[in-house]
Amino acid sequence: MSAGWRTLLLRIGDRCPEYGGSADHKEHIETCYTVLCREYEHSKDDIFEFLLQCAEQLPHKIPFFGVLIGLINLENEGFAKGIVDTAQANLQDALHNENRDRIRILLRFLSGLMCSKVISPDSIIETYETLLSSAATILDEEAGNPSWQPRADFYVYCVLASLPWGGSELFEQVPDELERVLVGIQSYISIRRHFDDIAFSVFETDEGDSPNKKDFMEDLWERIQVLSRNGWKVKSVPKPHLSFEAQLVVGKSHRFPPVSCPPPTFTLSASEILKGQEKHEADLKYPQRLRRLHIFPTNKAENMQPVDRFVVEEYILDVLLFFNGCRKECAFYLVSLPVPFRYEYLMAETIFSQLLLLPNPPFRPIYYTLVIIDLCKALPAAFPSVVVAAVHALFDRISNMDTECRTRLILWFSHHLSNFQFIWPWQEWASVKGLPKWAPQRVFVQEVLEREVRLSYFEKIKQSIEDATELEGLLPPKAGPNFRYHTDDSKESTEGHRLSKELVGMVRGRKTTRDIISWVEEQIVPANGAKFAIDVVSQTLLDIGSKSFTHLITVLERYGQIISKLCPDEEMQLLLMDEVSAYWKNSTQMTAIAIDRMMGYRLISNLAIVKWVFSPANVDQFHVSDRPWEILRNTVSKTYNRVSDLRKEIQTLRKSIQVAKEASAKASRELEEAKSVLEIVEGQPAPSETPGRLRRLQGFADRAKEEEVATEESLEAKEALLARGLEEGKELLRLLFKSFVDVLTERLPPISANGDVPNLRAGDQDVTFAAADPEVATMEIDNENGADNDSQLNGKKTKVGYSIGELEQWCLCTLGYLKSFSRQYATEIWSHIAMLDEEVFVGNIHPLIRKAAFSGLCRPISERV
Amino acid sequence: MASLFKDPSKLSVYRDRRFSGTQEEFEAALLASLTVYVGNMSFYTTEEQAYELFTRAGEIKKIIMGLDKNTKTPCGFCFVLYYSREDAEDAVKYISGTMLDDRPIRVDFDWGFEEGRQWGRGRSGGQVRDEYRTDYDPGRGGYGKMVQKELEAQRELVDYGVGFQTNAPPQYDRADRKRGYSDRNDRDYQRRRSAPDMSRRAPDSDSRKDANQEPEKNPRFREKGDSDDEDDDYDKKRRR
Repeated sequence: MSAGWRTLLLRIGDRCPEYGGSADHKEHIETCYTVLCREYEHSKDDIFEFLLQCAEQLPHKIPFFGVLIGLINLENEGFAKGIVDTAQANLQDALHNENRDRIRILLRFLSGLMCSKVISPDSIIETYETLLSSAATILDEEAGNPSWQPRADFYVYCVLASLPWGGSELFEQVPDELERVLVGIQSYISIRRHFDDIAFSVFETDEGDSPNKKDFMEDLWERIQVLSRNGWKVKSVPKPHLSFEAQLVVGKSHRFPPVSCPPPTFTLSASEILKGQEKHEADLKYPQRLRRLHIFPTNKAENMQPVDRFVVEEYILDVLLFFNGCRKECAFYLVSLPVPFRYEYLMAETIFSQLLLLPNPPFRPIYYTLVIIDLCKALPAAFPSVVVAAVHALFDRISNMDTECRTRLILWFSHHLSNFQFIWPWQEWASVKGLPKWAPQRVFVQEVLEREVRLSYFEKIKQSIEDATELEGLLPPKAGPNFRYHTDDSKESTEGHRLSKELVGMVRGRKTTRDIISWVEEQIVPANGAKFAIDVVSQTLLDIGSKSFTHLITVLERYGQIISKLCPDEEMQLLLMDEVSAYWKNSTQMTAIAIDRMMGYRLISNLAIVKWVFSPANVDQFHVSDRPWEILRNTVSKTYNRVSDLRKEIQTLRKSIQVAKEASAKASRELEEAKSVLEIVEGQPAPSETPGRLRRLQGFADRAKEEEVATEESLEAKEALLARGLEEGKELLRLLFKSFVDVLTERLPPISANGDVPNLRAGDQDVTFAAADPEVATMEIDNENGADNDSQLNGKKTKVGYSIGELEQWCLCTLGYLKSFSRQYATEIWSHIAMLDEEVFVGNIHPLIRKAAFSGLCRPISERV
Repeated sequence: MASLFKDPSKLSVYRDRRFSGTQEEFEAALLASLTVYVGNMSFYTTEEQAYELFTRAGEIKKIIMGLDKNTKTPCGFCFVLYYSREDAEDAVKYISGTMLDDRPIRVDFDWGFEEGRQWGRGRSGGQVRDEYRTDYDPGRGGYGKMVQKELEAQRELVDYGVGFQTNAPPQYDRADRKRGYSDRNDRDYQRRRSAPDMSRRAPDSDSRKDANQEPEKNPRFREKGDSDDEDDDYDKKRRR
């Protein structure tokens, strides 16, 4: 046996060389246990630590670790008792620090230990009851604080989630107590508020809420009830302890010491706003781990017991959590979960549900891109086809998909294809060319192609769709600058050309910014006006910086001042953005980058960008292109990124001030001490301190003081910046929401006389009808000619394939983005909600606007109108 | 999150010989760095392509393309600077080993960009790995520089006729994908980039030889599935 005990512990249950390729769980445990026994005397403490770590970080192997500890318990009760006590301390700690994953996994670990007779069943029941009673208290209006229901739900969820691992043993050994716990859960479920997660669903359901839909608690509760009716049999949880029952049964069970839950958070205020803020905080702290996404038809996905689906999802989410950053192991464990059935479809659904999880997935979306790539490589025969099926299924429903999710799907899909030579059966989607240009499927294909071109290059992507030449019309224009003053030797005439050439000459001749500014002010502005100056100067500078991102930065760094001199106010900055957009009209990416950098160098304010995005030319693009939205997203996120960076820096500075203060105090104390020694011995020939040391100490003290002052000054500076950033953020929100409200109010169909809210999807009903219509084919041909440049509402044409009219689609799309921004920046919005209530969500605002913004904030639509 | 499978001692297999500090200082620099090094790129990959990919790990502050010190053209690596440490970490975790421009790229923490590090360190101007490679890599100028010289020497002895082409470094003023680093119009940029280099380097025979090579007709071979096993090659270079 060459593998060390650590490797054996890590690899237990895996089909791997360390265990001779065997998959026999009993054999694994015996092998591992033998080695642990041999090493026990030398490495007892290490084994103790490592076992606990394994249990917490490889939770799908908890049953194996449970048995190993059970076997050790037979020989060394003290060791096992130590494990139990440490687990209790860890759980206690996790409850108070609100470490959700740790709480959940430790409860599962307790079940594992109980199965192997290390923990007594009644002490587990006791722990469950502690959690249940804390949950019930939180919901109590008097004793608790119902805003914190997410925490209460989480506790009960953890209890339920551990039952697949220990339910059957509890049922055998303490049936009455288990029944009591279940009754307690039942009564909790009946008093809790149903969680309406309409804000977070990937697909918009039809108008109105769906009262029958179960939320995550009700869903899990039902799965566990089915489980209990089936005699607690779970296929997906290994039961290695059964093979060792004869040995384990004589083990001494330890009592799991009681834990306590943190007391409910109280608030004295009854204000609706404060409650909303508090609920938002609680939602953030206890977010839902999974929002199940049903992608595949039931006959296609694997057929399994409700509880097995839950367990496999838990496995997958835990592997994703603990193996983030370890590519190889992550893929390995995902494809080799300890279950006796196939689960590729479920795995795909689970990973897509994470990629599309709202408001945010636990990790960056690019992580799931990587996981899907790795799974396609790990299961080359099975997984790629599942991914293809998932993409098709999501594509079919794209028009109902949440706006944010659509963007994530576009980014994922283009990146995914870029890792597989851009191979995709595009001909299956060729027909989207015949759809109106605002049809979500068409926009999706167009945006995927746009992103593919950015990751690669035009010719390559054009070649990749050669089987579907119809789609060439959806390719972005071939990127390249569009310089208004491009000089052609044959004809160079206008004033603009002349001035532009002169400016190029000045830049080449390394004239200083000051010289160029005075040239602009003397040669261009008086004769041609400031607008013309912006035109010539910005076009020319953009052209000088057009070679690459770095060229652009260089030009802006050197000559940005010229631009800022010309664009001191928003009006001029809007013109500047028009110039950028005209120069880079063939490259959405460069337009976005240029505007982003100009904001970075403070040549353009974020408010100006919002205004520009909501200017008529861009508003007309809202439903047919991601171009304006990309710029808006960048701007808002850049603003808040700066704020959060400043917050972090301030935190660090606070810490270093503490350090500097202590150092300074220490240095001056030492100096004082040294001085005082001298004073006492004054008059005597032998001074205890040499003048050299005193000077040195004085130097230290001075420097420490300087350091302290300098840190304090930079803290003050940062705090001033933060205050300014926060103010800017507030102004940004105000303008953003006002702009949304303005453009939407202008276009939304009015409420009918009897108060009915318009149904924007009303035209959608005959989609299936149209597909079955034999006339469709001919009509599609008609469409080929007209749909491209015909942006007018045309009932006849829009009926084919996609029957929502242009205006309705524009409204749906813009409302979707409003919801998406509200959800993404909910924390910032909640902190300025009073201002928004007063200035934006006022009086007769259209109910659809209010609905979109409020559902993004998870805020009930209040009665006050 | 998972500490069990990570070997914390393996922060980076590569120790930059130009780093002046101790190993501990080097590691501390890597741990705090906001910069990543990107390797095994195609010579044709643009900053904008890299931007699109790397921005998915976070907001990018700067991109510095690695350039051949003779030709001032991209030579297959770059530095990406982020604003935050987490973003740099995500780039290393999630982008390393994935494809950019049909090549598996490598992303590592870097100790921080300094002026001068944008230049290739190979004798011929590009990266060291491209000196000694013996494979044919169309995305990185064909054969390695040593092999190219060998082939050229042979050509001087034997007349191969019209069809033969050595694989000269690609020209960048081609119409389809402008690179621009060597574009003569851009004198300003040229000077800035080349100044520190030309001052200390005497002209050597390498660059003259390069100039003699025949221009290539279509350097951009992009066959489906021509993924080469780059990791080995990369490691060889790193160990050197």
